[in-house]
Amino acid sequence: MNNPPTIWRKTKELHKYIGKKGKIVVATKIFVAPEGFEHEVPYTVAIIEFEDASRKPLQVVDLTDELEPGQQVICVIRRIGKVEASGLISYGVKAKPL
Amino acid sequence: MKIKVAGIGLTKFGELWSKSIYDLSLEAASEALLDAGLKIQDIDAIYVGNMLSGVLNHQDQLGAQVASLLKTNAPALKVEGACASGGLAVYTGIQALLAGTSKTVLIVGVEKMTDASPAQVSAALMGAGSEDERLAGLTFPGLYALLAKAHMQKFGTTKEHMAHVAVKNHYHASLNEKAQFPFEITVEKVLRSSRITDPFTLFDASPITDGAAAVILTAADNKKQKTRNKKDVFITASSIATDTIDLSKRESLTELKGTKLAAKKAFTQAGISPSDVDVVEVHDCFTIAEIIAMEDIGFCKKGEGGEYIKQGNTKLGGKMPVNTSGGLKACGHPVGATGVKQIVEITQQLQKRAGKKQVENAKVGLAQNVGGTGATVVVHILQV
Repeated sequence: MNNPPTIWRKTKELHKYIGKKGKIVVATKIFVAPEGFEHEVPYTVAIIEFEDASRKPLQVVDLTDELEPGQQVICVIRRIGKVEASGLISYGVKAKPL
Repeated sequence: MKIKVAGIGLTKFGELWSKSIYDLSLEAASEALLDAGLKIQDIDAIYVGNMLSGVLNHQDQLGAQVASLLKTNAPALKVEGACASGGLAVYTGIQALLAGTSKTVLIVGVEKMTDASPAQVSAALMGAGSEDERLAGLTFPGLYALLAKAHMQKFGTTKEHMAHVAVKNHYHASLNEKAQFPFEITVEKVLRSSRITDPFTLFDASPITDGAAAVILTAADNKKQKTRNKKDVFITASSIATDTIDLSKRESLTELKGTKLAAKKAFTQAGISPSDVDVVEVHDCFTIAEIIAMEDIGFCKKGEGGEYIKQGNTKLGGKMPVNTSGGLKACGHPVGATGVKQIVEITQQLQKRAGKKQVENAKVGLAQNVGGTGATVVVHILQV
């Protein structure tokens, strides 16, 4: 939900993930996207396992090679979904290869 | 536990542009009443399985809506559990019979999906996922693709194995006049159709469907209700298990723990084992889901589901036919209707009313209905 209170609540959690490292457990590529993500296809999403053994699904960006299980990644802050010229910008966590 | 199936009703599944959610609900419910030889006054309570009426049809309070269509003031509830809504509605109706608060209940499963655009439907269905999954841009084809990739990595399951699920289910659908896709396809057709996620093509996925199904259940000791000219079919087990909504939080990515728990409970309730089952409907929202379900219910060993299906064991005429309706893949998947349709199909099989898709000497049937990626799993066992 792209409304101010939701974005505000989420933004408060973002710092916990900046620079957090983990590895790819399993990854897929999306060719048919849900509303708001259509402009990004094809994009990669993976289940990441962090060093504290917790797991989270994240979009993986800045990819040059095919993603393999075990690949090391680091969390970065990126825009989430489509941003309209006059709309709110939602920031969230994505992962990129280390 | 002995609950009798008194009547069944089922609409055509497909893109039914001339029919509304109201038309579909009324059609299935009326057919079930007729099949049971009952009047609406004989129904003590109504349970409607539906996921998205509020989002896609702008109709909430669906329980009362269906009751008013049927011109009754009986208690009526909508039951929601994503794609397991239908199975959950059946479960809820059974609880009322077991509690003794009702003698006869009507369960209607319905979903009207094709009025909305595929992107709207896809986003609406993601309501069954977690917030993190939505923010990652995941879809259900994406989530089940992650399960498929994990299964491929661990057990060597191939795209071809998965294609065989779609080919078999299309063959079954070709024998079912109610199916959305009543025609056969080939493994090559599946492998060469357009990619939707890695590793799925379009033919690995169940479609967007309109449709409704209804069943009338009655306490087995209800002498007033007689099944006319039909074999008595009893529901001997009804169980639910839940698991994390977020797929990444699961203990294992190669099984649905909810299925294992619900199936185990159901077999105990019915006092039977997997080898006693003659006919099965499983929740094949994606081809990999049928492979994993076969393993988790205990019909084959973990990791061997793909090969088991490829060898033809689950095709009509094989050891234990699975998804004789065509499954979600080829009969169609109107999400709230699916779990009820499975009960309709198994009842038809056990009463020898399944037409061209009839399984010979079927006496025990099982239905597995899944919500999301397995956060809700409902298992029913039916017997004659």
